[in-house]
Amino acid sequence: MSAVRTVMLIAGREVRQRLRSKLFIWTTVLISVLMVGASLIPTIVSVFSIDDEVVDREPLTVAVVGDLDDARTDALEAQLGPVDFDPVADTQAASELLTDPDSSVFLAIIDGREVLVVEETGPFVGPNRGRALSIAEALAVVDLLETAGASEIVEQVLTVEPLPVQVVGADDPEEEFAGILVANIGVVFIFGLLMFYASMIVNGIIEEKGSRVVELLVEAVPVKQLMSGKVLGMGLIAIGQATVMFVPAATVLVVVNRDLIPAGVGRLAVMTVVWFLLGYAFYSLLCAGLGSLVSRPEEAQAVLTPATMLALAGYFIGFASIQAPDATWSVVAGWLPPTAPFVMLVRQAVGDPSLFEVLGSMVLLLLAIVGAALAAARIYEGGILRVGARVKMREAWKSRAL
Amino acid sequence: MLEFRDLYRSFGDVIALDGLSFTVAPGELCGFLGPNGAGKTTAMRCAVGVIQPDGGSITWQDGPIDLRVRRRTGYMPEERGLYPKMRVHEQLVYLGRLHEMATADAAASASHWIDRLGLGDRSDSPVEELSLGNQQRVQLAASLVHDPELLVLDEPFSGLDPIATDVMSDVLLERARAGVAVMFSSHQLDLVEDLCETVAVISKGRLVLGGNVAELKASRGRRLRIEVDGGTAWSQRIGVDAEVVSVDEVGATVLLPPGADAAPVLDIAQQQGRLLDVHLEQPRLSELFRNAVGTTEDTLGDEFQRRSEVR
Repeated sequence: MSAVRTVMLIAGREVRQRLRSKLFIWTTVLISVLMVGASLIPTIVSVFSIDDEVVDREPLTVAVVGDLDDARTDALEAQLGPVDFDPVADTQAASELLTDPDSSVFLAIIDGREVLVVEETGPFVGPNRGRALSIAEALAVVDLLETAGASEIVEQVLTVEPLPVQVVGADDPEEEFAGILVANIGVVFIFGLLMFYASMIVNGIIEEKGSRVVELLVEAVPVKQLMSGKVLGMGLIAIGQATVMFVPAATVLVVVNRDLIPAGVGRLAVMTVVWFLLGYAFYSLLCAGLGSLVSRPEEAQAVLTPATMLALAGYFIGFASIQAPDATWSVVAGWLPPTAPFVMLVRQAVGDPSLFEVLGSMVLLLLAIVGAALAAARIYEGGILRVGARVKMREAWKSRAL
Repeated sequence: MLEFRDLYRSFGDVIALDGLSFTVAPGELCGFLGPNGAGKTTAMRCAVGVIQPDGGSITWQDGPIDLRVRRRTGYMPEERGLYPKMRVHEQLVYLGRLHEMATADAAASASHWIDRLGLGDRSDSPVEELSLGNQQRVQLAASLVHDPELLVLDEPFSGLDPIATDVMSDVLLERARAGVAVMFSSHQLDLVEDLCETVAVISKGRLVLGGNVAELKASRGRRLRIEVDGGTAWSQRIGVDAEVVSVDEVGATVLLPPGADAAPVLDIAQQQGRLLDVHLEQPRLSELFRNAVGTTEDTLGDEFQRRSEVR
């Protein structure tokens, strides 16, 4: 029997046993449904809010001196929506109305040719000035079209659909936002799932050790294959569970609310998955080795401390480097295998690492995974059959009971 | 042939195996005996490759016990071990497949052993829901499912009720007759005596008695119990060939050396008076066991004393 078949057999058992747990299935489905629900919230909100606008929104009041013909009324409504008109006597009366602090009127049209707007305090152009400018522009367009004898297309001009706008350049604010979003979510996601599945592996190992079934297994299976099968099986469960939890929601977002996904998220989402898988391989192997030292679930937490500390370090440095993705310490942490899955993802999301740095860090992490596999296998061999009190790491390393 | 040759293994300061040597042939059902702490479990774990000896060798058919051999070996560990939440049939199929069986073969074999061991209605129950006795039957099935050519069972009879004991005995005999080399450890000496053709008795990590049970008994001699009218004074007149083991108010027991004739002793006793009761019996295995295990302690004591004297 080939080693591959054995490893697959062991991985297959892990997956089947997990799928048999109703709690596991329902938790996964529930989270998946909640995620889909969350991704639909913007759509639901917008459906209701459009109704609100139509029903509830108070028409703005605009002071008018003299007449306003239909074309100009349309031009005004194209800019402001439904409008109430408050006829006033002259320019003087209009400006008094605008400056009256009790009045909600902020705009006046004089004979369809002049626009008055109330002064706003503050350093920037306020919304009222902006509206006044666009109204003035619309009225000027109406003038121009009438002069050119093209009054019949006034309506079309006023309601014309703007051309699509493409934002380019490295400092695209949308992409920057996507980067910060992915960096924050990605670090939490990787850390949370790493810790969760690593502890599941350790529980599985303790179950085998505690129930002594491991003695039957090592008779027929080389321990390296036994360990690899468990790590692989749990990895498959992690991928499967994450797929069920996140893919439906992501699909809904892409189909229904495409506009809400900032540009650049897709690439970074893929990188998050890649860094998670690499990080998972590294940490789950470490945890498998450490977990083989204990026989009782209560001891798992303590024995995993070294791996947990490394992952926590990656988590915090990852978060910190969102603020300084290209600082020297971020670059260094991006190269170090235990912190790379967190920090390199952040650097790719909000910083500017070279392709060499990204690939180099991945290669280094892969080498570390091989190292972790060898070390874990050796500890595992020394620890897995010594049921009872916690085995000292040094003893397990030296003894290799098998 | 399973051959233990000069096996050594220590755990820290404790010497578990101290030059253990013996063999189990295909078709042989060998009872592996010894007091607590004699090294039985360590020897069996060495035989299935779960631990490595410090010195000496174990071979099967003159080759090392490698993975290929281990997958043709059935093992029942001292501490029973199965996945508690896995169902009986599923678990046996899984273990069968780990021992290189095709899925269909493993399923058929699992069903066969489940029926054979009287677990038919528990086939789809998780192991943890079974009684301890039934769990032990599953454990036996787990060691048999891949049709091994070598069976190494650590105390398979402990905790079994009489019916389960019969089932276990039948299965072990059947396997041995099918050509499997079977070794199992036990403290139930009478059961071993009835069941096994051969025994290996170890003490302090080395073999103190081993071989065919009938021959071992014969080599120890026979006991002759005689009661005659007129007391036991005759027992002081028997020759050097026989040894008086015990004397009570009505009679005496004499140990006859292997091959010795009982007639001269009977003659002497009959001169005392009319024969009331006579029986000639072979020694029990338990007697051989106590003798063998006790002897080593004496020998070690003697050896220690000799060494002290040399100094």
